[in-house]
Amino acid sequence: MPDPNLFRLRVEYCKKGRLSMLSHLEIARALERAVRRADLPFAVSQGFSPHMKIAFGSALPVGVGSTCEIFDLQMTRYVAPEKALAALRAASVPDLMPHDCRYIGPRDAAASVVYPVASYQAELSFALEGGLPLPEEVHVVRKKKEKTLKVADYLVGQLATEGAMVTFELEAKPTGSLRPDVLLNACIDAFNATRPEVQEPLHIVSITRTTQRASR
Amino acid sequence: MRKMTDLWPRLEPLLRDAERPSRYLNHEFGCVRKQDADFAFCMVYPDTYELGQANQALRILVNVVNASENLCAERAFLPAPAFCDVMRREHLPLFSIESCAPLREFDAIGITLPHELAATNVLETLDLAGIPIRSEDRSENDPFVLGGGPCAYNPEPYAPFFDAISIGEGEEAVPEGLHLIRRMRQEGASRGDVLRALAREDGWYVPSLYRWRSEEEAQEAGSWIEPVEPGLPTVIRKRLFTRFAESNGWELCIVPYAECVHDRLNVEVLRGCARGCRFCQAGMMYRPVRERSADNIVESVLTGLAETGYDEVSLTSLSSTDHSQIADILTRLNKALDGKGVRISVPSQRLDSFGVDMAGLVAGQKKGGLTFAPEAGTQRLRDVINKNVTEDDLFGAIDAAFAAGWRRCKLYFMIGLPTETDDDIKGIASLAQRAYDRAKAAVPPEQRGSIRMSVSCALFVPKAQTPFQWDGQIAPEEAIRRVNLLRHSVKHKAVDVHWHDPETSFVEAVMSRGGREAARWVEAAWKRGARFDAWTECFDEQAWRDAADEAGIDPAVIAQTEYPVERVMPWTHISTGVSSRFLALERRRAQEGATTPDCTFGTCTGCGACPDLDSENMLAAVRMLSGSSASAAAPARGEE
Ligand code: SF4
Repeated sequence: MPDPNLFRLRVEYCKKGRLSMLSHLEIARALERAVRRADLPFAVSQGFSPHMKIAFGSALPVGVGSTCEIFDLQMTRYVAPEKALAALRAASVPDLMPHDCRYIGPRDAAASVVYPVASYQAELSFALEGGLPLPEEVHVVRKKKEKTLKVADYLVGQLATEGAMVTFELEAKPTGSLRPDVLLNACIDAFNATRPEVQEPLHIVSITRTTQRASR
Repeated sequence: MRKMTDLWPRLEPLLRDAERPSRYLNHEFGCVRKQDADFAFCMVYPDTYELGQANQALRILVNVVNASENLCAERAFLPAPAFCDVMRREHLPLFSIESCAPLREFDAIGITLPHELAATNVLETLDLAGIPIRSEDRSENDPFVLGGGPCAYNPEPYAPFFDAISIGEGEEAVPEGLHLIRRMRQEGASRGDVLRALAREDGWYVPSLYRWRSEEEAQEAGSWIEPVEPGLPTVIRKRLFTRFAESNGWELCIVPYAECVHDRLNVEVLRGCARGCRFCQAGMMYRPVRERSADNIVESVLTGLAETGYDEVSLTSLSSTDHSQIADILTRLNKALDGKGVRISVPSQRLDSFGVDMAGLVAGQKKGGLTFAPEAGTQRLRDVINKNVTEDDLFGAIDAAFAAGWRRCKLYFMIGLPTETDDDIKGIASLAQRAYDRAKAAVPPEQRGSIRMSVSCALFVPKAQTPFQWDGQIAPEEAIRRVNLLRHSVKHKAVDVHWHDPETSFVEAVMSRGGREAARWVEAAWKRGARFDAWTECFDEQAWRDAADEAGIDPAVIAQTEYPVERVMPWTHISTGVSSRFLALERRRAQEGATTPDCTFGTCTGCGACPDLDSENMLAAVRMLSGSSASAAAPARGEE
């Protein structure tokens, strides 16, 4: 068998509609099953419990959709990218549909680290006049421990509001990352706190990851 | 397609805070929404999506109904307990998965009864759906509420909650029943007239058309039910799917996103088991035994894996290593799936080295744990229960398993079996410790530290339609005494004892043996908050206790009384095909310690199922005995 490192297929797909409510683990399982249904010549690890050699991009939180997710699949032989894509599309559901396949080099960075910077677009339940307040810090609970994250460490540029649409860019650090839904909810909490209780509180309608890129 | 309300816009905002929203999403790979039908049926599993999605009855019945002209089928599950409360607060009724439509807008709903602890969840389902929980309170506009599944073999504790109950295998009976309802409704028949007609169809029981007799009347008349009008059957015989063996082992199957139990390709390789364990209901109710052929099974597995993308397949049945062609099937599958990273699992009741060889064929390098079920600790008691397994069989299996690389083994036992004494309990400890010693001897010295032998016990539950239906369950306090005796008798530190809560087993016994009066108990318990009784963290013992006072019944009498075989039991009017005479004979043999062989390995032992159902065992090839049964090869007995 030729070295499967030679055939690393990077697949780009979307996560949308109802399926944006799936967790990272659920998505991973669904993609693996799509690859099997597509009957691609995927490589299988050796050893105790053999499994498909597939690597996923950075995790998307439950409720966050995307137009630009990636996974890498190691294959045992070359299949033309357009053929692989056609087979994958025939085996996929519309809300988790692949739209691009290409080969990457044996030394290229893995899917989980190649794109630390991602931009997001969110829709809010109503249009804002003046924009969202941006807290300096966000408190998160991770593994039962409270942690304080400095927003400036993760936010690249500004949080831009236009009507009910918000766009922003976040960068993952080797030490950790700030989830887009966590940041946005912190902003919304700060906003709701400034308003009289009788008014309908603001909430998120949807969040979508729109691009991913390497650090500059 | 009938127009039904779409509840999704109301459900979606609630899912933002729900635990595991993937349970409620629909849009799974393989799910079907049939358009050209004017009669809508919803199949309900009375527990959460995770527990019910892979249920075989659900898959089979949704598929057969969707394959029927004019009918369509959807699925529904109970939400997790916390989300049930959210839905009540928001006045959101229980919905189907495919159309997110309210259950009460369907023409009929079917609720499967998978085990004895699902009764309060049936009421939770109906109430959440906004359907009156009692059949008598439903109006012309409510859906028909149909029941079925393993617990329907004693339908009485559920009787008032269902309009009709399907007895036996539903592949043919369910679409037939739905066609009848559809046709009569279109002709303008009333609900009552439809039920009167359905009660005259094979395999359908309509409880409201039968008066429940008093104990005295029932014993006198030989049956607990009295038809309220002429022309109704007095015995409802189960339906048998006679085309099982030739039917395709692969059928459409939904691939869920949420992590579910048994989330894998399940291919049913055979139906029924005639080993004849005297405590086992499944062993009586699926007779005769039917095997799909090796070609059918191998083809079905390969097609199913390609269509679903699963990386695991289970060859399901009560005991798949009993299939006459199992070695051939596993060898062919291993070859075809080599290098694909697919796991194969084979549930087995077979306690001998052949069973271990088969497990070895599919385990590859990864050898997790093996489980064996000797059920009783002494040969005397194993003969009583007709578990045709000797110590040598068990030790042979242990030698083979540990030599082949397994390091963990779990042994299942029942406590409180009829005729059990303290010696039998000590026998469990002794057997487990000697099994541990055998394991040690089969393993190289440097690896002995990793050997784990565990004993898992459950309280014996006397089941309707078995030879032990007349035997009582021991009281929970006595069960605890016996378990403590077992704990003290186990001296080896490497042998640990696990124990299943006796209170839930007590409820199971009442539900298995109770008559129609037990339904009052269920209803009172549910009104006091009992639901999800099968979840240890949800089981509310107090609710059940208080409910007994309110319902005016003594559940201990129902669970624990021992009767002579002459007593007419509350399910006498339901027939599995196995005769009462055979059950009584088996009980007598149990008391004498005499065993009865498996008819699929030899000749007929006269249970009555084949002549009664006008069928026979359908094996793909001749079955060969192994282990002690092969050498002893007891002569087969006819009906005495
Ligand atoms: S009638 Fe005879 S052959 Fe048929 S299941 Fe019963 S014992 Fe077996």
